[in-house]
Amino acid sequence: MVPNPVGLIPANTYPRIIAVDLDDTLNNFTETLQHGEFPYSPADSLSRETFEHYLQLIRNEESEPSDLMSTGFNYCRFKIHLRCWQEARARPDGVEFMQWLRRNQWRIVICTRRDMRRAHDSTRVWLQKNDIPFDYLFMAANKIAFCRAWGIKHLVDDSFFNIIHGKEHDINVYYPILPLHHSLPSHNARGFQTFDEVQRWIQE
Amino acid sequence: MDPRVTLLKEFSSDFIEGKAKIETDQFGFEFLEWLLSAGGALEYGELTDTRLLHKYKIVDIPEHRMDELMQLHVMKQFNVCRYFGAEKNDVLCFNMDNNHKTDNIAIIPEVSSALETLRTCLLGLGCEPLIVASGRGYHVWMRLDEPMDNTLLYEFMIATAARALLPLLVAGEDHRAVKFSFYPDVNVIDDVSLRLFGSQHVKNNAFSHVFTPGGLLDEDASWKYFEHFIRNKTTPTTTIKAALEELRKAT
Repeated sequence: MVPNPVGLIPANTYPRIIAVDLDDTLNNFTETLQHGEFPYSPADSLSRETFEHYLQLIRNEESEPSDLMSTGFNYCRFKIHLRCWQEARARPDGVEFMQWLRRNQWRIVICTRRDMRRAHDSTRVWLQKNDIPFDYLFMAANKIAFCRAWGIKHLVDDSFFNIIHGKEHDINVYYPILPLHHSLPSHNARGFQTFDEVQRWIQE
Repeated sequence: MDPRVTLLKEFSSDFIEGKAKIETDQFGFEFLEWLLSAGGALEYGELTDTRLLHKYKIVDIPEHRMDELMQLHVMKQFNVCRYFGAEKNDVLCFNMDNNHKTDNIAIIPEVSSALETLRTCLLGLGCEPLIVASGRGYHVWMRLDEPMDNTLLYEFMIATAARALLPLLVAGEDHRAVKFSFYPDVNVIDDVSLRLFGSQHVKNNAFSHVFTPGGLLDEDASWKYFEHFIRNKTTPTTTIKAALEELRKAT
């Protein structure tokens, strides 16, 4: 039978575990989205006009208002994001940090909001191409809930929600300081310029 | 072996060997180690937006372990989802869902209407489907006497689904309220899996009851109907090919 029916493990069972986000943490996703070229293809079943409109919305990180789950806009956004995931550049200091984690026996969980059903292959190829080691690949919309459930005390991530709420749930959140973070409300996460700082903090 | 596991194995011989997705409310490194303890590797995991429901895509599962997972599936310990064959399949499934972001567990009239049209259309083409309540819609399965090329199956499903949505369009209803997914889908064949019969829906824990013209069958009757379907309602591939010709002519 299945052991551990509740699933929650003590947080101190695996003290050296870290969850690391991909987009705008280990790569330059937003820069790629803003400045990348995304040519129109009639095969996508959209008119050129609609495609250009959608592209503008996607670059602005806006959505087309809809109460439906599966829409032409969502599919278009996925295809453009997929291209960004493939073409985004890895942060050199991020790559070094991940390799340091591996050398120092940290258990590494890549934790992303990407739809892994469709983005798994390209994500794994990108990680391999950039020599980024990891143990597990997880998709989670709520990374705080994920880290708490899995007993992970350290999360490197750029999202506002995680920066603001991590500490309430006993998760140490470290975020790369980006221009949008100037409007952050008060929080207890630690912003960094380079991954060297994170390396130092997680050993404190 | 549990006769229900035997039935599930008999249902299709073309699901990809050694590959499955597990849906469960169990999580943590200890559980993951147990899940992989008899072989297999985690391709990726997922924490869904629904409670603490987790999904694990596992590859390289040894056959005996797959049988154990199927046993746990019929015991409702968790759901096993399988991936369709990359080239050919002896089953196909229309997955019909409520496409709304909110309250999408409800069976909306558009889904019911499209289901009835699809059932009528399939019966008219000489194909008898197995219809299973999926939680927020229906899985409409067909079982074939031998594997057929995925491109033909996909073309058949696209054409019949379009027919199923036609009355909604004619009536001025929003056909986008119904989300159709096709299995096998030649565009995403390696990406998507489908819960097997005998599962429970992750949001409402509802069993995958068989849906007949008379209504939903209870769990025991659903398993009996499933067996009856496998024994007696397998569609010859010649029927699908003839139906496809008819659909092509009509369009």
